[in-house]
Amino acid sequence: MTGGRARAWRVVARLTAAAVLAVVTGCSGGTDDAGRPGTLRILAGSELSDLEPILRAATKATGVGVKLDYAGTLDGVQQVLGGQADARYDAVWFSSDRYLAVHPDGRSRLGPSVKIMSSPVVLGLRASVARRLGWDRTRPTWAAIGAAASAGRFTYGMTDPASSNSGFSALVGVAAALSGTGAALDGPTIDRVAPRLKGFFTAQRLTAGSSGWLSDTYARDPSRVDGLINYESVLLGLNASRRLPEPLTIVYPSDGVVTADYPLTLLSSAAGRSGDAFRRLTGYLRRAEVQRRIMTQTHRRPADPDVRPAAEFAAQPPELPFPARADAVDALIDAYFNRLRRPARTIYVLDVSGSMEGARLASLKAALTALTGADTTLAGRFRRFHDREEVTLLPFSTRPGTPATYVLPESRPEAELARIRAFTQGLAAGGGTAIYDSLERAYSMAEQSAARRPDRFTSIVLMSDGESNRGASADSFRAWYEGRPPQARRIPVFPVLFGEAATGQMTTLAQLTQGRTFDARTQSLSEVFKEIRGYQ
Amino acid sequence: MALAGVLAIGVVIAIVEGRGSSHGTITIRGVIGSEKQAFFGDPQVREAFARKGVRVEVDPAGSRQIATSIDLARYDFAFPSSAPAADRIQQARRITMRYTPFSSPMVIATFQPIADLLAREGVARHGATWTFDMSRYLRLVARRTRWDQVPNNTAYPVRKDILVSTTDPRSSNSAAMYLAIASYVANGDTVVRGGAAERKVLPLLSGLFLDQGYTENTTEGPFEDYLSLGMGKTPLVCAYEAQFVDAGVRGRLRPGMVLMYPSPTVQSAHTLVPLDAKGDRVGRLLTTDPELQRLAAQHGFRTADPARFAKLTADHRIPVATDLIDVVDVPSYDTLEHLLDGVAKSYG
Repeated sequence: MTGGRARAWRVVARLTAAAVLAVVTGCSGGTDDAGRPGTLRILAGSELSDLEPILRAATKATGVGVKLDYAGTLDGVQQVLGGQADARYDAVWFSSDRYLAVHPDGRSRLGPSVKIMSSPVVLGLRASVARRLGWDRTRPTWAAIGAAASAGRFTYGMTDPASSNSGFSALVGVAAALSGTGAALDGPTIDRVAPRLKGFFTAQRLTAGSSGWLSDTYARDPSRVDGLINYESVLLGLNASRRLPEPLTIVYPSDGVVTADYPLTLLSSAAGRSGDAFRRLTGYLRRAEVQRRIMTQTHRRPADPDVRPAAEFAAQPPELPFPARADAVDALIDAYFNRLRRPARTIYVLDVSGSMEGARLASLKAALTALTGADTTLAGRFRRFHDREEVTLLPFSTRPGTPATYVLPESRPEAELARIRAFTQGLAAGGGTAIYDSLERAYSMAEQSAARRPDRFTSIVLMSDGESNRGASADSFRAWYEGRPPQARRIPVFPVLFGEAATGQMTTLAQLTQGRTFDARTQSLSEVFKEIRGYQ
Repeated sequence: MALAGVLAIGVVIAIVEGRGSSHGTITIRGVIGSEKQAFFGDPQVREAFARKGVRVEVDPAGSRQIATSIDLARYDFAFPSSAPAADRIQQARRITMRYTPFSSPMVIATFQPIADLLAREGVARHGATWTFDMSRYLRLVARRTRWDQVPNNTAYPVRKDILVSTTDPRSSNSAAMYLAIASYVANGDTVVRGGAAERKVLPLLSGLFLDQGYTENTTEGPFEDYLSLGMGKTPLVCAYEAQFVDAGVRGRLRPGMVLMYPSPTVQSAHTLVPLDAKGDRVGRLLTTDPELQRLAAQHGFRTADPARFAKLTADHRIPVATDLIDVVDVPSYDTLEHLLDGVAKSYG
């Protein structure tokens, strides 16, 4: 080093702390070509969007840019296991690495990891219901909660375990607790506890593909269910939002919970290029003052043992074991969809008007076919039409077409799935677009069917690539809808925005029926149909 | 913290260069067992290295991961937490040099109500320090006893098997050390050697890990859970003594946290394998530099000078066993690998 550089260093040493930091940062390893500390690209669980303000502050303080992309439970796992994440991301940040790490291919893809915060999955019940059950005074066991659920003494909403981490953690927790063995779950144990689990899930009356949608839906109409199974942080956040007429009492099962511990994990493929940015970012997030900010802004518990937890947190409940083997976890998810949960009644209202001719119709056929078992990826496996599910396909153009209804048997669904596939392949385009007449038809069918079997999750998917130009108008549909009985009005419509769909009308329709829209203009129709499965 | 660390280095570099040293600071990269992360992150340690013209950057990982799956080409040294893991790296890469600057015995960290409960069951004993009787513990495990089946247990009546929380034996050294202890006891107080003995002890050993369910890759994980989440998640956790002592020195132990020595226990010899000349420099410095040896003791490790460790733990009133008597040998590298592979198989 030259004398000039040495003198420069002496000057630097006398500069302000900020200036020294800037110089040292500029000289450190793991930088990009311009000498900046670079950007960490992170594949994350969608619930982490509430950390964005804190991550912006992290970038300001450390110089490390942070780019989050969000993915559902199995989707994220699939991207890491399949190696697609290696090229696109430096790190993953889900509620837990457990499911990834139990996969034989998952462990080697994960590098260093730092836990940032935690939140147990618990039951939140309307205060009056918790009081009625006595759970505001003493902590019930999961067995007691399961018995009360089976007996219809309360109802709840929970997210879909294949789409959302809170549902996934809840499923594992409940199964572990009800198994009663005290050891981690394995395949035979799942079969043995299936009847008890089925009882527990009869009380589930609301499902959702994301924690955020579940709590929003509950907040808009808290009379739908008595409570939610969700992260403690989501339930505390709901209470703090003052959106609820009656607060939720948080019930901590005495025999344990599964806790999300949010490890920020460097992918092993990125250890060389991004190690420095990773160390800076995790170092920042684990600073005591940042840990306190995370705690107060997101209601998650701090990972730093030196940070005093806020008064809103009860003592950490015991932790239930998480299965050691991937096949046990997969068997559990499989059982949930095909045996344990209340089956779905799923109605697809499908536009086959003239404008669908060609590529659009082909992509619709592909999207539906993928749900009949053709998609063999991890995410696809749990996305097919499930055993016991009632699937209705209602094609429409100038007027509602002839609907076809399929009820999948309790096992060996292949033949029925093949029939759905065949019907799908036979769809042909032509004619006008009678959206609202067709929707009215779908609601009437759902009502009749629900009268015969009320114990199903019922929902309607509306796929259209244009505006309604035949039959009932949006306004006349609204008037008709508002005249339906309360049960029918709780059937949500999930409009898919496709082609030249009328975004405004579709959004209004989703709001009216407490559904939500899905955008198939920025991603493929297959992706969207898979995503909607989380809500059915 | 990170900011302060970076700042400190910045200033130190400035001072070193200001003195007109003839060559600049070099950066040396290593992959280390996660339990040494606090040591390498300590500003005083970084300063001690900087005085020697060295800046050390480390990535934490499980020790067996270091020995098996991590790409070592990126690093100048590997610093797993046991001799067998170091053996494996040396064999694979034909390296003869190694340094063992410090060591630490395996311990069980727990909480007073659990210690009292286990004392009533005859699994724990309280003398000068707490002892955890491995043989009686393994009998409880063989009977698959749950916490809520222990008579008069109001402290932790949880529907969960009595099991010490460990890391994943497929990747982490501390779990391998725990397996070494359990294998010795399960083999009738004899170090396991040979196929017959391996087959005899494997079913019990597999259960010790599989019945816990998912376990983490690095000892940092469960011990941090012990410190931050408390009894609920980890009533009993297998750790390095150094982790417990370090937490004590930093005032991170809360009342009711109890240190137990398994009887018998094993020593984890933290072994640095240099992958090039730069890495060798770190190995030499750690072993010979008095300041770095002092700081290692400060972090709870046992170094060449036992008096340092004794004074530190006395000063901070951490109830350690200064003289370890009941220490047994770790099985040979091959045997340990066979046992770990056997357990790994049952994970599917």
